[in-house]
Amino acid sequence: MGRYVARRLLQLIPVVLGTTFIIYVAVYALPGDPIQALAGPHQVVAPAVAHALRARYHLDQPLLVQYVYYLTGLLHADFGVDFNGTSVIQIIIASWPITVTLALTAWAFEIIFGLSLGTVAAIRRGELADHTVLAGTTLIMGIPYFVLAYVAQILIGVKLGWFPVSGIEDGWPKSYLLPGFILALISLPSIARLTRASVLENLRADYVDTAIAKGLSYRRVILKHVLRNSLIPVTSLLAIDLGYLLGGTVLIEGIFNLPGLGFQIFTGIQQHDGPVVVGVSTLLVLVFLFVNLVVDLGYGVLDPRIRHV
Amino acid sequence: MSRNYSWSQQWSAKALGIVLPLFLLVAACAGGSSTTSLGTGSFTIGTTGLFVTHFIAGRTGDSNLDYAIWTPLTVIEPATGKLVNAIAESFQSTDEKVWTIKLKHGWTFWNGETVTAQSFADSWNTTAYGPNGWFQGFSFNIFEGWTDLNPSSGTPKTKAMSGVKVVDQYTLQVTLTRAFSLLPYLLSGTIFAPLPKEALTDLDAFDKKPIGDGPYEVTGPPYSAGVTSISYKRYDNYAGTKGNAKSFTAKVFQDPTATYTALQGGQIDVALVEGSDVARAASAYPSRFKAVTSPAVVYLGFPLWDKRFNDPAVRQAFSMAIDRQAIVKAILQGYGVAATGFAPASITGGGGSDCTSCTFNPSQAKQLLQAAGGWHGSLSLWTYTDPTNDPVLQAISNQLRTNLGITDISLQSQPVGQIYTNLSGHKVDGPFLLYTGAAYPHVYAMADSLFSIGSFLNTTGYKSQDFGTALAKAASDNSSSAVVQDTHAAGKIALKDLPLAPIFYPQLGLVWSSHVGNVQGEYLGGAHIASITTS
Repeated sequence: MGRYVARRLLQLIPVVLGTTFIIYVAVYALPGDPIQALAGPHQVVAPAVAHALRARYHLDQPLLVQYVYYLTGLLHADFGVDFNGTSVIQIIIASWPITVTLALTAWAFEIIFGLSLGTVAAIRRGELADHTVLAGTTLIMGIPYFVLAYVAQILIGVKLGWFPVSGIEDGWPKSYLLPGFILALISLPSIARLTRASVLENLRADYVDTAIAKGLSYRRVILKHVLRNSLIPVTSLLAIDLGYLLGGTVLIEGIFNLPGLGFQIFTGIQQHDGPVVVGVSTLLVLVFLFVNLVVDLGYGVLDPRIRHV
Repeated sequence: MSRNYSWSQQWSAKALGIVLPLFLLVAACAGGSSTTSLGTGSFTIGTTGLFVTHFIAGRTGDSNLDYAIWTPLTVIEPATGKLVNAIAESFQSTDEKVWTIKLKHGWTFWNGETVTAQSFADSWNTTAYGPNGWFQGFSFNIFEGWTDLNPSSGTPKTKAMSGVKVVDQYTLQVTLTRAFSLLPYLLSGTIFAPLPKEALTDLDAFDKKPIGDGPYEVTGPPYSAGVTSISYKRYDNYAGTKGNAKSFTAKVFQDPTATYTALQGGQIDVALVEGSDVARAASAYPSRFKAVTSPAVVYLGFPLWDKRFNDPAVRQAFSMAIDRQAIVKAILQGYGVAATGFAPASITGGGGSDCTSCTFNPSQAKQLLQAAGGWHGSLSLWTYTDPTNDPVLQAISNQLRTNLGITDISLQSQPVGQIYTNLSGHKVDGPFLLYTGAAYPHVYAMADSLFSIGSFLNTTGYKSQDFGTALAKAASDNSSSAVVQDTHAAGKIALKDLPLAPIFYPQLGLVWSSHVGNVQGEYLGGAHIASITTS
């Protein structure tokens, strides 16, 4: 187990080096001039000003030299500063809680609705409930989620006024419920369907007959035996999904004006702000890998047959 | 729905050969009238991050929020569109090149420090100093000594412009590189606002926690990651017309569309909307909506380095083949003004119909093109990616196809940084759709940036000595009506050569909640914050 974890952690090093480099090159290769992007579309930039700014951010150096500057900083735990002089670490610290709150809210929706809808559909197989879940999830999968976001914003936020349409001023839960729910809708159909398939498969298993024969209540059989066994594939999907959710979603954070990590990446790309984009993205890659590691270890807890040696 | 501002202030020649602009005297009274009872309410206004990342005006994106915290020497009155004195008492010059500017007494920064001639000199030298890397520094290029602060290579040897002299506590002497009668207009930008002593000790810290001289003080934390709103409160010792509301909050959004949604949801009181939201807001809030014309023009520029566009007749044919009214009606849904000249009527001296080739005349266009040898081969049309530019360029390409019979047309849409690089490198091989705003609210600014040799926004590579001479004459005129007249004369020369075909003057929409009133657009398009009332 210890060796397994160590090996997985060591694998992170080349991954981090690779991703930072690729993202760095990608930002560098963005078309257009970062100084002009920073100034805004209608602003004239005097050559002396452009020159001063280029020198300040090492933009006048070749790509590799810039990257080495960046890596040297990283080794000293210095994520660099953005074009406005704010340290990237500060940006991450300020934006991260918002993204985490949003991600966990969405995740809770996925778990609650995904699991229950899937289980109900499986138990009521072929009945109205099953068909409704199937039709509903198909519909949700078919509509791009930013469309859902705008529609929900107009209907629930503007027309009904149940939730604030944007911003985080009302705090959790009010500000996060609507965007969190919309965000949950992206993966909810897959989770519901996977749960349904998994529960169906387990309902047919011999141990269910045994349990019922032993005189256990149907309810107890479903909750304690079937659901636990059905959760193994669903858990891995849920966990990977958490990794994605923690990555911040540029679109949802933009539409609902939540200043999380996705928001920072968006403005970073707009302004060609390499340090922000690379810093935040690298962190996200790390989080994603870490979550995956936890999931792999978590399998062992759910299913004693799976053990990492 | 364009607004016609009257610009007909007459400058009267005084004895001793000194020209004293009359309107500056009239305006002197505008400053002190602040004894009326002030509001106690507050409101919320929407903005985008670009405008609040910095508080020092020399570094910001130049917006209505800047006018809330900075007051320069002169200001444009939102209600009339006229230039009036704020801190300036008078402007005097005999040759329009060396100016003596007298300041009013009694103006203070929020910390109580008196606004003096030195406050202006400090601010101007700091903003113009190239190594500081402030984008707005370029606006000082007409000042004597600007080049010393912005050498083409190496670091400058001095930190002060030779053209800015502090004569006494309330008198400044400004020397320009050439005659330029529009100095009072130029100085109405917040980038020319003064800076207190404290700013100079640590510019970056000051940028986050400014001490301004405007009607509203910034309170609370600056804009940074995780922050979505900035608070302002009224500066009660403001020497000009004080703000109506006791306080206000600027909420930051990622884009103007999000701003409009927030207004619909009742989260903000004032929003500036653009693109398709303008027509939407106009029909949703007919009594709480105002269309405002941007001090700008959207034009189709011709690559004069491409020999296919050498013949002015070809350029005229293109221009006359474009139905501007149809574009305004169908694509901008009526919120835009078809261009008949090179500057909208909303800026001083703007409007008019200097562009004879801006009239839609497909048959004459076809004849012109045929007489010039017709069109052979393919045509590329360029623009930068923008929700309005793309459909407008699409419409232009359809009209050129129909009206000129050019069949092989392709559209190139690039990021904004890219297209300017390609233009200055002459890598663009076809007409390009661009937006140009006036640096200060005068028709002269527009003519200068679009057509002058050496202007960064002269994207077409237009070089005309005749135009240059005519415009220089306008700049050395000492009456405001003559400046406007001569600018138009110069503009006519340029538009006869037609290096670019003006298409339309863009419009934005101001929309507000029932909680606020007296929402007026200032010349940049945003709401004039100090006049907003609350209920």
